[in-house]
Amino acid sequence: MVGAAGGSTAVYQTAMAMGLMRETGAVAKLDLLRAGPAGKNVVVLGAGLAGLTVAYELERAGYAVSIIEASRRAGGRNLTLRHGDKVDEMGYDQVCNFDDDPELYFNAGPARIPGHHRRVLHYCKQLDVRLQVKANVSRPAYKHDPDRFDGKPIRVSRYIADARGFLSELVHKAADKNLFDSPISADEIDRLRAFASSYGDLNADGKYTGSRRGGYKSGFAEPAENYPALDFAEMLDSRFWADGLASSENPDWGEPLLEAIGGMDNIVKGFVRNLRSPIVMNAQVQSIQNRADGIDVIYNHQGQRRKISADWCFNNIPTHFMPGIPNNLSKEYKAGLASLQPEKFFKIGFQMKQRFWEREGIYGGITSTNQRINQIWYPSHGIHGKKGVVLGAYTFFEQSNFFERMTPDERLKYAANCGDKIHPGYSDYIEAGVSIPWGRMNHMMGCGTSWTPEERVQYYKLLQQPDGRHYMIGDQISYHSSWQEGAFASAEVALLDLDQRVRAASTISGKS
Amino acid sequence: MNGGKAVLAAISVLGLTSPAKAGDELPIPVDEFVYCTVCHGVQMMGNRILQAPRLSGMASWYVSRQMVAFKNGARGVHEDDLAGRQMQTMAAALSSEQIAEVSSFVAATRSDGPPQTVNGDVDAGRDHYVTCYACHGENGEGNEAIGGPPLAGINDWYLATQLRNYRDGRRGTNPDDNYGFLMRAATLVFLGDDKSIDDVVSYIATLYDNQGT
Repeated sequence: MVGAAGGSTAVYQTAMAMGLMRETGAVAKLDLLRAGPAGKNVVVLGAGLAGLTVAYELERAGYAVSIIEASRRAGGRNLTLRHGDKVDEMGYDQVCNFDDDPELYFNAGPARIPGHHRRVLHYCKQLDVRLQVKANVSRPAYKHDPDRFDGKPIRVSRYIADARGFLSELVHKAADKNLFDSPISADEIDRLRAFASSYGDLNADGKYTGSRRGGYKSGFAEPAENYPALDFAEMLDSRFWADGLASSENPDWGEPLLEAIGGMDNIVKGFVRNLRSPIVMNAQVQSIQNRADGIDVIYNHQGQRRKISADWCFNNIPTHFMPGIPNNLSKEYKAGLASLQPEKFFKIGFQMKQRFWEREGIYGGITSTNQRINQIWYPSHGIHGKKGVVLGAYTFFEQSNFFERMTPDERLKYAANCGDKIHPGYSDYIEAGVSIPWGRMNHMMGCGTSWTPEERVQYYKLLQQPDGRHYMIGDQISYHSSWQEGAFASAEVALLDLDQRVRAASTISGKS
Repeated sequence: MNGGKAVLAAISVLGLTSPAKAGDELPIPVDEFVYCTVCHGVQMMGNRILQAPRLSGMASWYVSRQMVAFKNGARGVHEDDLAGRQMQTMAAALSSEQIAEVSSFVAATRSDGPPQTVNGDVDAGRDHYVTCYACHGENGEGNEAIGGPPLAGINDWYLATQLRNYRDGRRGTNPDDNYGFLMRAATLVFLGDDKSIDDVVSYIATLYDNQGT
């Protein structure tokens, strides 16, 4: 009804108002004024997602765009590794040795798209990048702590059912005795007990004694037998809530998630396929100088220093490289750029010669472990195929230093040993592996950035604004650093600002 | 006139490109040394966020010696020296010939002097620095014969970091690092506390201008 009367915007707004959708900000309608007297020459520094977005949108609005990229490929941290791909780690050049098979790929950068990342999905649709559902949380996958439950992996379903059961029993008991700061009415007690019984699958006495929600121990031709409840104290000792087990509670990891069919870099390919503007690869920026009526960029390419003069510059270079690039941006702007600290993410991908996890009833999703590898991801695609690529480690921030200290071979061996403790024979299934420490990747040296709350207050708005003809873009200039949506959001802010200036200039020139 | 052709080709591709201004002779790294400038910045100007010091114009003999030390694992292997470890793997990947080439490249780079980031007591630092003369020169110009590197033009934060590394054993404890061993001993005797480290690097920062470079 609403949709028929008010169009899709009305549906969207109503859905928002009804609390049906999570908000990352409505996607702006980019109705950019055609390039005109304010200048049509644009230089984009860096072919990451934000840079590609700006190039794509401005090209369509009639601008002449040039893209300067320091590395040998477009996409930035949107990197999918396949057979023969180079892994450009500082000091450790690697080549991905997966089989030559389009099903065998590893998303070394972004790997998940939630439904509320409207900009990512908008561009996927626009660029005809096909998506599929990706299982992020799998109840048959495991929670594993080498020091609890004899080091045996426990199905996620049991942890969830038992955690809810024990918590509900406490609530039920508190309701029984009305142990609240402000005692509640008999009706409310009844409803609270009913809720606790249902939420935790309690027995008639309000006790938790295990639940079929934890999974069947028996087969279907036999009487149903549940797993007994785990020891709650031991569960607490394993700090199970601190990791991936609660990940579906995070809106960005809430089910269902999406992924690009065939690899996340199909988004990059979608942009490149639809761009006419040249992307100059292996071109490293040497200087950025605002002028009163334009901006000059010097870069090195094929052994030559070259200068490019443009009307506008959109800078998608990782912010932490900017202190090493001469520029005449304002002192405050430079200080803002120098305040963003690069973070470290680390991933390992293993090609497995058999999909052994499927024999354990696991189809997609994540096993979480208290070992250094943190997580094992099972692929959601290629089900019942011969082989598959598993994520063998995913670490964040300081955790990543542990693996960065190792050689690539040492990392793979370490992660394989961790896997053996969860899946017997794990190491034997590994045919090939690759590690990606983003803090050591050439032309990246980080993944995501962090600010102290004070620094964000001081600098965020400033860096969202242009400095002269220079716009800083990229996921760092968002509240969702290290998410693709952050990159798109920053590009959108910059484009809308440019459009305002162009429209203002157009009004003035129209009057004269 | 191949160069001219290359420029013309670039103009036709980009539409906007022109060669950088004439007389501009800043060295351009060959592909394998672009890596250096990713962290150390354009013309090796330094980048504190990545803990990569300014190396512009640094004496090639010292760059070479340090690269060899990194390559051989005499430097950059301590567990807690993450930046040093990053450097170590880069140096390990270079041949002796490449180390000679990269040292020449680094010596030829030029950039503005390092910004002041440490605010120590310059006068107190001057007094400390007297003990450094013999090896590092009165004006921080270095002493190749003795093996003491130039210090003028090095970032104050980097010198302070390295002095703390020496003091705390993250550098200069490796038996293969003779010079580092000496430097650690000197640091322990003369620069045991953070204040004296800040003071002396603040004084060293004033020496860059003295050299008129």
